[in-house]
Amino acid sequence: MLPLVLTGCAGRHNWLASAGAEAQAVEDLFWVLILGAAVIWSLVIGLAIYAHQTSAPRKEPQARRFIVWGGAALPTLVVGGLLIWGMVILRDITAKEGDLTVRVDGERWWWRVIYDGPDGPFTTANEIRLPQGQTTLFRLTADDVIHSFWVPALGGKMDMIPGRETSLTLTPLEQGNWGGICAEYCGGAHALMRFDTIVMPPDDFRTWLAAEAAPAEIAADDPGWQVFLDEGCGACHTLRGTEAQGPVGPDLTHMASRERLGAGIYAMTPENLSRWITDTDRMKPEVDMPAYPHLSGAELEALVTFLMSLE
Amino acid sequence: MTDEIKLSDLPPPEPYDKARDEAQRARLMKVWEAPKGWRKISAVNNSLVGKWYLLVSFGFFTFAGILALMMRAQLAVPNNDLFSQELYNQLFTLHGTAMMFLFAVPIFEAVAILILPEILGARDLPFPRLSAFGFWCFVIGGVFVCGSIFFGVAPDGGWFMYAPLSSNPDYSGLGTDIWLLGLSFIEVSSIAAAVELIVGVLKSRPPGMRLNLMPLYCWYVLVVAGMILFAFPPLIAGDLLLEMERAFGWAFFDVDRGGDPILWQHLFWIFGHPEVYIVFLPSIALVATILPTFAGRPMVGHSWIVLSAIGVAFLSFGLWVHHMFTTGLPEISLGFFSAASEAVAVPTGIQIFCFIATMLVAKVRPSVPMLFAGGALAIFVFGGLTGVMVALVPFDWQAHDTHFVVAHLHYTLIGGMLFPLFAGIHYWYPFVTERMFSIRTAKWSFWLLFVGFNIAFLPMHWTGVMGMPRRVWTYDLADGWGLLNMISTIGAFVFAAGFAVLAANVLWPRGRQAPVARNVWNAGTMEWSEEIPGKPWGVRSIPYIHTRYPLWEQPDLIGQVDRGEWFLPDAEEGERELIVTDILDARPLFVQRVGGPSYLTLGSAGCLGTVFILATFHLWALTLIFFAGFVGFTLYWLWTGTARIPATLEKPVGRGLVLPTYAQGNRSSGWWAVFITMTGDMTAFMGLVFSYFYYWTAVPAFLPEAARLPVFGWLVAGLAGVLAGWGLTLLSRQVLRQGRRGLAMVTLAGSVVPSALGLGGFVWAAQAAGLDPTRTSFDAMVWMLVLWLGLHLGLNWVMQLYVTARIYAGHCTPRYCADHYNLTLYGHFVVITGLTTFGLLALFPMLMGVFG
Amino acid sequence: MRPKHAPRVIDQGSVWILVAVPSIWAGHFLLSYWIAAIWCAKLPAGASLAEIRWVIAGLGALSIAAIAGLGVIAVRRYGGEFLVFEEITESSERGRDRFIGHVTLLLCGLSVMAVLFTVIPGLVIGQC
Repeated sequence: MLPLVLTGCAGRHNWLASAGAEAQAVEDLFWVLILGAAVIWSLVIGLAIYAHQTSAPRKEPQARRFIVWGGAALPTLVVGGLLIWGMVILRDITAKEGDLTVRVDGERWWWRVIYDGPDGPFTTANEIRLPQGQTTLFRLTADDVIHSFWVPALGGKMDMIPGRETSLTLTPLEQGNWGGICAEYCGGAHALMRFDTIVMPPDDFRTWLAAEAAPAEIAADDPGWQVFLDEGCGACHTLRGTEAQGPVGPDLTHMASRERLGAGIYAMTPENLSRWITDTDRMKPEVDMPAYPHLSGAELEALVTFLMSLE
Repeated sequence: MTDEIKLSDLPPPEPYDKARDEAQRARLMKVWEAPKGWRKISAVNNSLVGKWYLLVSFGFFTFAGILALMMRAQLAVPNNDLFSQELYNQLFTLHGTAMMFLFAVPIFEAVAILILPEILGARDLPFPRLSAFGFWCFVIGGVFVCGSIFFGVAPDGGWFMYAPLSSNPDYSGLGTDIWLLGLSFIEVSSIAAAVELIVGVLKSRPPGMRLNLMPLYCWYVLVVAGMILFAFPPLIAGDLLLEMERAFGWAFFDVDRGGDPILWQHLFWIFGHPEVYIVFLPSIALVATILPTFAGRPMVGHSWIVLSAIGVAFLSFGLWVHHMFTTGLPEISLGFFSAASEAVAVPTGIQIFCFIATMLVAKVRPSVPMLFAGGALAIFVFGGLTGVMVALVPFDWQAHDTHFVVAHLHYTLIGGMLFPLFAGIHYWYPFVTERMFSIRTAKWSFWLLFVGFNIAFLPMHWTGVMGMPRRVWTYDLADGWGLLNMISTIGAFVFAAGFAVLAANVLWPRGRQAPVARNVWNAGTMEWSEEIPGKPWGVRSIPYIHTRYPLWEQPDLIGQVDRGEWFLPDAEEGERELIVTDILDARPLFVQRVGGPSYLTLGSAGCLGTVFILATFHLWALTLIFFAGFVGFTLYWLWTGTARIPATLEKPVGRGLVLPTYAQGNRSSGWWAVFITMTGDMTAFMGLVFSYFYYWTAVPAFLPEAARLPVFGWLVAGLAGVLAGWGLTLLSRQVLRQGRRGLAMVTLAGSVVPSALGLGGFVWAAQAAGLDPTRTSFDAMVWMLVLWLGLHLGLNWVMQLYVTARIYAGHCTPRYCADHYNLTLYGHFVVITGLTTFGLLALFPMLMGVFG
Repeated sequence: MRPKHAPRVIDQGSVWILVAVPSIWAGHFLLSYWIAAIWCAKLPAGASLAEIRWVIAGLGALSIAAIAGLGVIAVRRYGGEFLVFEEITESSERGRDRFIGHVTLLLCGLSVMAVLFTVIPGLVIGQC
């Protein structure tokens, strides 16, 4: 079982996936600590078992020397050394600026993501794309409760706290879709607050950024767009470039280009989207979005088709 | 010093006389016997209350364990819908809460109440009724908090209740109020127990038991009770802030009004991390008591263990921010706490190596308690090593809030607390039941527990490494966490089976089995001197102790004690009597009379519990009525049960020693109890002071412009009033000493007036400036400080009038006025509170250049 | 025989010194934390800690000196010794004093170690 775990066959969220510079720094520390702990544990427990079982008790001075050297001196040196090493790593993995800046705002229970696009900042949600090999500075906020932003494969986590801004730098080294997780319990559907982190070559990233910054492309006579407007979806959701400017829920301008639905929890398929609209609370309990079970089959289909066209 | 007892100077005991012995025993029995039948609930004997405490704590442990099994069942497979998200969030919150507040801390108190007096060779703790009061508070509060889950309103904010999830009623419901009020209530009972235990260790030692001879268990109890005194109050302060925000909208954690949610985390973890050691040290204390018995020799490195207990206690107060490494504090701040978190490994290492050294120099008798102690060591050392890992900031940034931390904390708590406790349960089982448990069954339970634990929690480290956060009620198949979780669930059920076997073994009725021999393990500490069948009085006579392991090192001690050759062998006056000794050398000071069975404690605890429960539902009128009931019961209890002037002012206690039967000032236990309680109270106040400065550091523009400061002149007037009230109280004691009772009563009752006017000054200073606690954190903080001062002054007035009445009734005389000493001591603390409040409200803004 | 004296807390060799020694560590720890926290709260992120680290190190040196001072008291007034191979079990005032002095010396060692640990982050971390 152990090799299976270590190879990280399900490594999307694995700290030891070596997908980011910050994660790698901790990985070295991790292995030294685990092996060191195994050695120390074996020595101490071995000694204790020996001391309990032996029929030839030791002389007292010898035992007392153990207290001084094994109990006091050795631990002092070991933890002192580790403290210094830990501090040096900490200093090295915390940068105050990055090649690009992404603002992420934690909401119950999804992520508002703000990029600096070619024409100024724009908002998207629940999926973060990053250029490979570049350092990204995340500026993190929250406006309801405390959340925590974490992409285990890339590096450590940082809390998102109402009333203040925290920051974290990540330098992804491997391409792929690395899972992101809310690590601080935020009530209700905390377990279902995820996001995708897609690391791509820097050129692809620039292309994606330009496309993502563009407004939504909508045919005015699309029946699904009519359903969207009639049901008042625009009161909560924004489709950039249209009259739908709701600030409450995730931005849907390019929602169909995202890999997942419902804050990183369901594959973005028409079936899932349809269920999301009619059975929202079953898909993600306690979520703020109301369900729309009254939509007729035709309306629902039109709405889903419309939303799936928002690439 | 002539009050040192010299063993050689003591007259020899009177020759044994069977008739006298039987008469003395009969009198002792009459005095110490607990009531029979249903009246038993009024009992206050430590042996009974301790046993109840232990059973109820294990009841809550079982309850919280069942919640854990439910969680494990839910997590066994991916995408499980066995339990709902809503229920799961309640399950883990209540599991953590109950395990910490209703098991881990109370079990320390339970064990200490049960065995501390016996280890000290004392008849009981100095305040038996206070123990009973604390126990009933614990039962009521615990049942209230746990019961909430059957109504679907259990707290669901996680056991550390982070604001704003907990502070904003939009995000959290009644459960949070139940958590806040229920636990505040239990914290009060913990502090009561801490006061009791500190005074117990310091003042109830047997004559001659100097500090260097005091058993290690007592050192640990002293250290841990001291930690409770400094760790719990900041949380009580935090609870107060949080509940004021929830119930009345005061602005403490709401960022839009100048509050800060991180303040809650500081207040919580200033409590929360020492708490871990408050839980851990008493269990290690059990091992430190058990191990010498089976090694058959004194502990090697006794003083090093004392060092390590004191060292851990201090360092543990420098770790709290390691729970907050990911909150974006400056790296240098994280560094300090990382440093202290690493440093605490050193005294812990010393502690463990003292145990190993003791085993190295002895032939250890294998036994069930040692088996559990060994399992504890194996588990705890691993938990300690992962603790060294998570204390490193970069490591913690990955591990924090994942199942790695869940695994780590269970390794430290189950290895450091539960297994040693099980060792203790088996060790003292014959002491409590006078029977022997089944050794075969005990070994079965050990291996089921040990193997089950490791199957459950070892893989959980990897679950964390693979990215599974804690407190998630479900996960996806594609996450790849399914196999590890299934293994953990299987382990958890094996562990539960082990506990079931252990519980069956311990609870199995063995009435018909032959009793064990006296001192069945051949231990060296005093509790094993107990007669079989046991007697309600503890020790037959209170011996002079001059060794660390008296049963080994003082020949025929048991015989001498049994024959009544030592102190207080009789109860001629029909009173429950203890010997109170001094802190350093345990020189006998006086004979203290303690209360017997009483319903007053029950009534008092019942009313106070109802107050907290009703407050949860905001039924303020009923709350006030029960509060009055609480005050009534408590005053009647104090009036009839404490500081009574005895008929004879001294009595011979045997072997030529004559002791006073009344004490006041810093000789008396009551004075020390007030002093210690008020130290805890002052710590809670310091929590508020910390909050004030925290806001000043963290919230820009916390201090408002001059026009919105409390009015300086009124603050000065307020302080003057408070000082005048205090001065009159002091004056009344002087006057009373001179024998002028009338004048003393007038000055004492009269001191309420300036004091009340003083409070009015403080209130008006805030009111006149238009401060509104729901508007900004500064306004809320000002009102909170004034409220705190007001509560303390209010209690002061009750005490002043109470002592006035005591003088009037003749219970407080010019020569014997213990109540008045305690009152003035309390008054000193209130004056410090008043001066500090004045400093914060009037002087600090001035220092910062704002003039009101 | 009758008891004469009230309990002795501060005078005549008491336990205050056991609490005082680690309290110096606690004082240094809290002071370092507060100074750095206030400095970083009142200045922008990334501000230099150059001055602060010397303050922390200086306070550390002072604290160690104070601990050493208490160590001297433990030796002179209490007769404390750094004992490894012996237990102090004699039943006398002198024995109790020696015990307190001895534990105080051990606490001095632990506290010095803890103070040095606290200085380490100050030396490694250079900015807020």
